[in-house]
Amino acid sequence: MEYVERRLVERARQDDREAFAELVEMYKDKIFQLAFRMVGNRQEAEDIAQETFLRVFANLQSYDESYRFSTWIYRIATNLCIDRGRKKKPQFSLDEEQGGELEGLDWYSRLPSNDKTPEEKVVVQELQETVQAALNQLNPKYRSIMVLRYIEDLSLQEISDALQLPVTTIKTRIHRGREALRKKLKL
Amino acid sequence: MEIDCKEARVLTHVFLDKDIDQLSNQRLQQHLVVCEACRNHLVELQTVVAFVESASHVHAPSDFTARVMAQLPAVPKRKTFGNFLRKHPFLTAAAVFFFLMTGNLFTSWFDDNTLQVTSTNMDQLKIDRDRNMVVVPAGTTLTGDLIVKNGSVEVEGEVNGNVVAIDGSVFLASTAQVAGNIESVEEILDWVWYEFKNMGNYLLPSAP
Repeated sequence: MEYVERRLVERARQDDREAFAELVEMYKDKIFQLAFRMVGNRQEAEDIAQETFLRVFANLQSYDESYRFSTWIYRIATNLCIDRGRKKKPQFSLDEEQGGELEGLDWYSRLPSNDKTPEEKVVVQELQETVQAALNQLNPKYRSIMVLRYIEDLSLQEISDALQLPVTTIKTRIHRGREALRKKLKL
Repeated sequence: MEIDCKEARVLTHVFLDKDIDQLSNQRLQQHLVVCEACRNHLVELQTVVAFVESASHVHAPSDFTARVMAQLPAVPKRKTFGNFLRKHPFLTAAAVFFFLMTGNLFTSWFDDNTLQVTSTNMDQLKIDRDRNMVVVPAGTTLTGDLIVKNGSVEVEGEVNGNVVAIDGSVFLASTAQVAGNIESVEEILDWVWYEFKNMGNYLLPSAP
């Protein structure tokens, strides 16, 4: 796996488009997921994910091979997500389109409805929305780390490499992130 | 060795990160047995983790890669030969095969080094295998041309025509009488090929 990836990066650096397309295939879901969990809506997540790969392509020459490729791409994606968040302060209103799996629905749809969908389905969907809503309320610097740790399943060391922060800082933020989510979810 | 709730809360997070040492773990467990609040706290945090981990995995749209590729800057015209070979493995194999086959064919063509004689009076000629030579014996008269390939000619008699030796020499005895031209042709092409072949063998040890 590591070797294949290294070869692909090498070929992509020599402007081999097929190799680059394979790298995109390998990472598109991971990066899209990270962006989706960070910004909470599909369209924006897709924009960020595309931008991530375009930046990867543009900066292939300056990629430092002493880091894993995944670390580097996660760093680019996380920075883009956080920058995007700074520019656009999220505002919540019942009329606003709801971020989440169901594009096109507004927040009214989360109020109890008379839909006859199977009950389990509703429960799962509500759980999903609750997770996303709780993440949305976190400060992005905690949110990114919680997403990288528990959704993307990166180790503390990998997160430390990706964000270029010491492991101790990552730990502190995970502790605070967990505490914050505990309060938001009111378990 | 009792720890208070404040310390226990810190250790709880270390515990959740799975890098707690044995002694701290013992202390934490001792505290949790007696403190319900801290016990609940741990359970709540574990639920939070399970909750976030349960977030369903979303996937990028199916045309995502195509859309990214479409946005890349245009491919520069410079196409390396290496890329071409990689993209057309069949063509590459065919070309190599063709090259080796042609080489083989030419080699066997020119490797034909047997003595060849063309004359209308074959019965009068003497062929000297040891010296790789065709002899026109004294006292005989040949009518028409005498052409010898891959060998020399020694003329002692009379030839009413041309004498040609390809890849060989023509020797005339004092008694010889030749009506036509005497030619000795060193086949230049053959020689060039010979040199070329040597070079090929040097570069490609597997070539014939």
